[in-house]
Amino acid sequence: MSDELSMWERPLNRRGFVAGASAAALAAAGLGRLGATDALAATEQGGTLFYYNWAQYVNPKTYAEFTKATGIKVKKGFYDSNETLAAKLRGGARGYDLVCPTGYMTKELISEKRLLPLDWSKLPNVKRNADPKFLRTGDDPKGTYSVVKDWGTTGFMYRTDKIKERPTTWREFVALTKKYSKTSLVDSSPEVVGSIATMLGYSYNTEKQKELDAVRKVLLELKPHIVLLHSSNYDTAIARGQAWMGLGWNGDGLALAARLKGKARYVVAKEGGEIWIDYYNIPVGAANTDAAHAWINFVYSPRIAGLETSYTYYGSPLKRSLLRGTAAGALLKDPVVFPAPATVKKLETNQVSAAGKRLRERIWTEFKAS
Amino acid sequence: MAPPEDGPKEHRRGLTRAGAGGPRYPAWLVLPAVSWYVLFFLVPLGFIVATSFGTVVGFSDIAYTWSLDNYRYLWDDVVGELHIYRDIFLATFKLSIVGTLSTLAIGFPLAYYIARYAKHKTLLLLLVIVPFWTSFLIRAYAWLIVLDPEFPLFRALGMSELVERQGILFSEKAIFIGVTYNYLPLMVLPLYAALERMDWSLVEAAQDLGDSPLRAFRRVTLPLALPGILAGSLLVFIPLTGEYIIPVILGGNKTFYAGSLIAQQFLESGDWPLGSAIAMVVIGALTIALLIYARALGKQEQYG
Repeated sequence: MSDELSMWERPLNRRGFVAGASAAALAAAGLGRLGATDALAATEQGGTLFYYNWAQYVNPKTYAEFTKATGIKVKKGFYDSNETLAAKLRGGARGYDLVCPTGYMTKELISEKRLLPLDWSKLPNVKRNADPKFLRTGDDPKGTYSVVKDWGTTGFMYRTDKIKERPTTWREFVALTKKYSKTSLVDSSPEVVGSIATMLGYSYNTEKQKELDAVRKVLLELKPHIVLLHSSNYDTAIARGQAWMGLGWNGDGLALAARLKGKARYVVAKEGGEIWIDYYNIPVGAANTDAAHAWINFVYSPRIAGLETSYTYYGSPLKRSLLRGTAAGALLKDPVVFPAPATVKKLETNQVSAAGKRLRERIWTEFKAS
Repeated sequence: MAPPEDGPKEHRRGLTRAGAGGPRYPAWLVLPAVSWYVLFFLVPLGFIVATSFGTVVGFSDIAYTWSLDNYRYLWDDVVGELHIYRDIFLATFKLSIVGTLSTLAIGFPLAYYIARYAKHKTLLLLLVIVPFWTSFLIRAYAWLIVLDPEFPLFRALGMSELVERQGILFSEKAIFIGVTYNYLPLMVLPLYAALERMDWSLVEAAQDLGDSPLRAFRRVTLPLALPGILAGSLLVFIPLTGEYIIPVILGGNKTFYAGSLIAQQFLESGDWPLGSAIAMVVIGALTIALLIYARALGKQEQYG
């Protein structure tokens, strides 16, 4: 079965839509000359970078430009949940040079001593170009092990041509799910349990038994109306009309809207929800830490960061002013990619403890089995 | 006088070869197989057994505490009111039975036809095997397109709405279709092997002596095909108890089976001890079922 397992992970994407691998080949054709800032990173190094990441979470053009600038080839592997990544690292997997877990998982991995400290002398672009608030996040205050990759929100998306209502809250999301029975959810307990908890007025991270019981009740009522539970096929299912609405991430929502030419919308629910930050981490057992540093530094040059945001539709950690005039320029005013401060204030990061996680997993198993 | 002496000698040698005497082949021939099983089956199984008595500390660390908590938790579920896990085991049993019966229902006539009537046996067998050249996963994904109401064939036939109303995709029906398709060759091949060896003149003899075709089938063909039926059923039933890719892709991941449950404990929940305990329950149930099966088979052979 192990062969199928690794195959299984390949075509999946949490972030972004299925763009087709041919994009990488196309990208190689249309490359321009490297800019002056890129040249700083472009010390010839060679070797291979084993980049284990969410699928469709890097602009295919970036791989080609990186190899051209540094001579480092990129070997790719993909996962579709933080837990899968953690299971691999905890199972003793070696040789991944660069991984991108979400904040809560970075914290877990740090506490378990599964990450290597960064050498900041190799990251001049990060020091120069990062928005200072992303250099001091709560997950790793001194940036000893991590650099921000992207940030985004967890909300819901829906087809405006299939659903005539214009939902803006989790409560409406739940009501419309019961009305149409055409909803997909990501196959991940933190997002689903947390979002329903915010709907009920609790914290996204609640661990109180009474509140979790209330969440459980809502979820069990919802189950017969769920079409699909999947963290990466869901946007395709919505695009095909197999589902009309889905709980998911903002970048997927915007990519879906682009794919359907505006006939879909992404919403950050009024009650609140999750804001997440994904980090670059170098795991213990990395074979080429120089290559990992080179990648991080490379994507922190404004032009490349712009390429990335224009592809993933996720918020960039660079100073906003540096992104003007890049490929992401047009997205700077898009509230889905860069939500307003008032929206962000209502959102919470995932901070569930180990004990809380166990309580939530039991609910999740019951939900899936019901 | 030489030939008569040779005869019994030959005979005795034949007996020894059949296994009545001591080992004629050196024991080291089984060494590769035995070491393979020890290294990749018994050792991992030992880890699973040990882990199933452990406890999770923090997010993921396993303490080997030799506690029965995981089994007690499962037992309480089975006898208690919630019975989440009991229902999952029952659903898994149902999936395995339905998959075995449906592949048998489709596979038997096919194997029968190829073995008895077909002119191009090799070609037909090749066609049965061809899907195996593609990855299991891709074959499952292909059905995602075929079962879509918007599939061009349905649209051309004006059947899109009908298919949509049936709600096949992301349902239990889709899982059964996918399972039947993917496991069919595992059933057809042993059935064909059994039927191909059959002496069809026995069937003709039965009919000449007054049996109706149906009676001849029941009294001659079926008993002779039985080893193939049993082998095919095992090949389909056992892996189905651990199947989890088809339910995730075609079933929309909404119905939970033992395979998906174990995968979730290991990959998502990070609860390897509970996952190991569930795996042990599945292995235990399967072993008991196989023992019963082997006993029934033994009796069958006595009477047959």
